[in-house]
Amino acid sequence: MGVLRIMSDGIRKVLSIQSHVVSGYVGNKSATFPLQLLGFEVDGINSVQFSNHTGYGYWKGQVLNESQFGDLMNGLRSNGLDNYSHLLTGYIGSESFLLRVVDVVRHLRKVNRNLVYVCDPVLGDNGHMYVPKEMLPLYRDRIISLSNILTPNQFEAELLTGEKINNLDDAVRAMKLLHAKGCDIVVLSSSDFGSEDHLLALASSHINGKRKSVVIKIPRFKQHFTGTGDLFTALFLAWMSRTQNDLKTSMEKTIATMQTVLKKTVDYSEGLEIENSSSRKFELRLIQSKVDIENPNVVIKAEVLQT
Amino acid sequence: MGVFLLMSNEMHKVLSIQSHVVSGYVGNKSATFPLQVLGFEVDAINSVQFSNHTGYGYWKGQVLNDSQLGDLMDGLKSNGLDKYSHLLTGYIGSESFLLRVVEVVRHLRTVNEKLVYVCDPVLGDNGQMYVPKEMLPIYRDRIIPLANILTPNQYEAELLTGEKINNLDDAVRAMTLLHAKGCDIVVLSSSDLGSENHLLALASSLIDGKRKCVTIKIPRFKQNFTGTGDLFTALFLAWMSHTQDDLKASLEKTIATMQAVLKRTIEHGKSLGNEESTPGNFELRLIQSKEEIEKPKVVIKAEVLNI
Repeated sequence: MGVLRIMSDGIRKVLSIQSHVVSGYVGNKSATFPLQLLGFEVDGINSVQFSNHTGYGYWKGQVLNESQFGDLMNGLRSNGLDNYSHLLTGYIGSESFLLRVVDVVRHLRKVNRNLVYVCDPVLGDNGHMYVPKEMLPLYRDRIISLSNILTPNQFEAELLTGEKINNLDDAVRAMKLLHAKGCDIVVLSSSDFGSEDHLLALASSHINGKRKSVVIKIPRFKQHFTGTGDLFTALFLAWMSRTQNDLKTSMEKTIATMQTVLKKTVDYSEGLEIENSSSRKFELRLIQSKVDIENPNVVIKAEVLQT
Repeated sequence: MGVFLLMSNEMHKVLSIQSHVVSGYVGNKSATFPLQVLGFEVDAINSVQFSNHTGYGYWKGQVLNDSQLGDLMDGLKSNGLDKYSHLLTGYIGSESFLLRVVEVVRHLRTVNEKLVYVCDPVLGDNGQMYVPKEMLPIYRDRIIPLANILTPNQYEAELLTGEKINNLDDAVRAMTLLHAKGCDIVVLSSSDLGSENHLLALASSLIDGKRKCVTIKIPRFKQNFTGTGDLFTALFLAWMSHTQDDLKASLEKTIATMQAVLKRTIEHGKSLGNEESTPGNFELRLIQSKEEIEKPKVVIKAEVLNI
């Protein structure tokens, strides 16, 4: 598909519909700064404004409903501010909001037929769904076919395909099913069939009838982080655009930055006198990783899969 | 690169309470990226979420009220996320919200007694107030005594002191009056005391009984921009912090970046070649000016005033 071709003289402007937290790094707080550093204008629509992410157990704030979301889009449209190279969506909390996203993709594609829609289909993780189950058919039947780049985790890929993933072959088959639903590029951002020390991430593209798959080993961290999926998707968007869809390079650079950010986060946490159970201890050290975002130092190489 | 990045023990964390626009660069959209590039974590409370700034004539969005601001602060407090090195406030639209800010400053100072409060007392410009007039006494009598750095424009300084500013002596006297109200550092971010080709900016500090004043000439642009005041205040905050309150260097670096951003904005605006200059054509080219934010090239020097 020509849809993914980004002209070098073209605009680099992302409409990013995600959560905003005042403190910490998830959603738009995690995605915006890296994208900006890598040269993208980021227009953030904050689907919520919370004091902090919900992993803390206590939070306060406001939720944007679908009609308020519609208002914002109306304002952009009326002023001719709706020409975007990319649309990025992450966690969405309600069916009605997700249905509005369908309208938005269609509209943005009318304004720019080369729009690249990058969708992180946030449904759940590790066998647990954390959005209403009515959202699954919406993602599966209406969103995926509109998206160019899809970044599910293993559980989400299982939900979206209805097939259990137990090994590499299953994963490749799942990605193929997602391609068949109309998605050019699928990234399994993490899966647990690596080893005790490693997770595996896989990426697969199906462009102009040509299939390509790569896999990369990611060292596991003991800690639990929040906002890493949002960071991953943002970085992958940026590198795919900057490398004209070089799947292998984009995965390598994305993982290189991720690993450095996580390492810095862990190192910093060790100097903090806060309990390990506190979410505050492991907020991503994103601002302090500026150089690693701009110039990722690739240590772990991806492998091309023969599929 | 900056010496400041090596001082890892020092906290560089700003709570920034300003507007958010999806498209374009005013309020937090104008302040956040530069501060982050200069090494600050920026926790943004978005006092509004609008599609675009109001200069377009048409916009849509949501307004945060004082009780919702209280909710967000409650969430931060409850999780021990309320320790900041800086508080930054810009445009505030209502009396009740501003009164809540008074409480926020007091609270943040109980958590960190060294908190630096940087206040842009947005009241109006060029002889016209654009906030309710009831807000003037609140800024004058309650906010200014709490502020460490105040960045009024000429009209705002006149309103806050009740004295007309017609020449350099008047400006210095106005800054003296504002110091007397309890504010350590005052910057007149722009005044029409220069010439046809130049605006004049002035900065004055009164720290430990020692007074210092500097002035800098800023080439005028014919074009009208939005968000420049917010950018100015953010940059000045950053450079005052990084230079340990070196007034002259901070003003020079701030103006150097500003000039580079405005120049790039004009060139881009002209390249769009539309007959009519819509506000959208002159949105600040902030993301494209990353290097000039990181490493401002000082061309225009500030002069120390003998007072």
